[in-house]
Amino acid sequence: MHKLSPWFYTPALILPAVISAPALGVQYLNLEQAQKALFPSADHFESVNVNLTPAQRQQIEKSSGVKVRVNEIKAWRAKQGDSTNGWFLLDEVIGKHELITYAVAIGLDGAVQGVEILDYREGHGGAVRNANWRAQFKGKKTSSPLRLDEDIRNLSGATLSCQHLTEGVRRLLATQAIALK
Amino acid sequence: MNAATSLPVPTEEIIRARPLLGTLVEIAATGAIGRVSHAISQAFDAIAEIQALMSYQDPASELSRINQFGFTDPVPVHHHTWTVLRSAQELSATSRGLFDVTIAPTLTRLGFLPRHANFPRASRHGDWRHIVLLPDQRVQLMRQVRLDLSGIAKGYAVDVAIAILQSAGIHAGRVNAGGDLRVFGATEQTIHVRAPHAPTQTMPLVQLNEGAAATSAAYFAQRRHAQRSVTPLIHPYTRSASSSERSITVLASNCMLADALTKVVQADPVQATSVLAHYQARALIVEHDPVSGGCHVFDSLQQARAA
Repeated sequence: MHKLSPWFYTPALILPAVISAPALGVQYLNLEQAQKALFPSADHFESVNVNLTPAQRQQIEKSSGVKVRVNEIKAWRAKQGDSTNGWFLLDEVIGKHELITYAVAIGLDGAVQGVEILDYREGHGGAVRNANWRAQFKGKKTSSPLRLDEDIRNLSGATLSCQHLTEGVRRLLATQAIALK
Repeated sequence: MNAATSLPVPTEEIIRARPLLGTLVEIAATGAIGRVSHAISQAFDAIAEIQALMSYQDPASELSRINQFGFTDPVPVHHHTWTVLRSAQELSATSRGLFDVTIAPTLTRLGFLPRHANFPRASRHGDWRHIVLLPDQRVQLMRQVRLDLSGIAKGYAVDVAIAILQSAGIHAGRVNAGGDLRVFGATEQTIHVRAPHAPTQTMPLVQLNEGAAATSAAYFAQRRHAQRSVTPLIHPYTRSASSSERSITVLASNCMLADALTKVVQADPVQATSVLAHYQARALIVEHDPVSGGCHVFDSLQQARAA
């Protein structure tokens, strides 16, 4: 960094610590907490188990433009007394770097009322699978003056693509419209 | 002092995350039991509102209305959009155009932003000076420039969310919108960044208990364009994409500033030092050192002290 050297002082060399898989992960909410967060006024949740038929699968894929990988749908009716407030659907998407468990609240009008993340687990990216790259960090962990905090909560610069999540929500919207009555 | 007097109200910490602003937005809050979750929901709702106003992708957003009709007629805008545009203009003036929200046509050409078929053709000879803020929160474009607020609105959304948590009586909180984060409360929180050459590696960079940090780096944002790897970090003067392997973290009093200043440092680290000083902000540049396998950290504050 010749351009910067006269201007910026270099106080330290930081060695990034190597993290073993699952590299970073956090559980935000369990199932009950997510249900309560998305339907605060519901008093109970009625589990509805659905196995998609091949025809339904095809219909969902056609209407959402997203591939259906799992036939079992985990859904709940959000109930307040005898009346239904909406649908709560639990799902998982695998992105390039992460596995995300999330829930979608769908109102009786068929519109998304909210999306809540339950679990977020980040896997290894391409760079780490490269053995040569990994070798240069070997043995450096203990000599590193900086302790690794296994905590992504304060991670700055974590702009991960939410595209798979967006697709997942679209798929669940179609699933509700086609398979949940 | 016994426990009963020091802790009159039992508290809880809740952390939730929702997909917003094209990333995962995480909100953590500590406060009196029973009040925290509602405060977090309100903060998420505010972020969703800001997204609906200022999304470039959404053809129905207020920003899209400016891009579509702002050259023909003044467009009245919401208070949020107005605040962001006013701050953007001030940052552009202070940085002499190193921060510029009119780089959208370049981002579209490189495939980072979608094309809107019904939008008028963008002028090649326009910049931030061709955005005019009129009385009564109206916006007029003097040339057919096209605005993208993604370099500043995310930070603003974080600030608004923090303000909502604070006014709801939350004791300590943190809002992290994929790299734009702000914290408040008594305890210091360690801010980590990703290693620019290996984004699955993280390292602790700095401690904060009040204030904001924003990190800009290309590692998750690169794409191929015309047989080469490009980033969405556009230099406003040359309108070319940076291929830099450094990550830039800016610490500032609020997240909108921190977010926008990362672009200034990215464009010109040397000129940026006076802009950073003007806003009492600090930049930390992390660059991979292939020889040692570690990373060098360049600190604008150290430079200021040395001078």
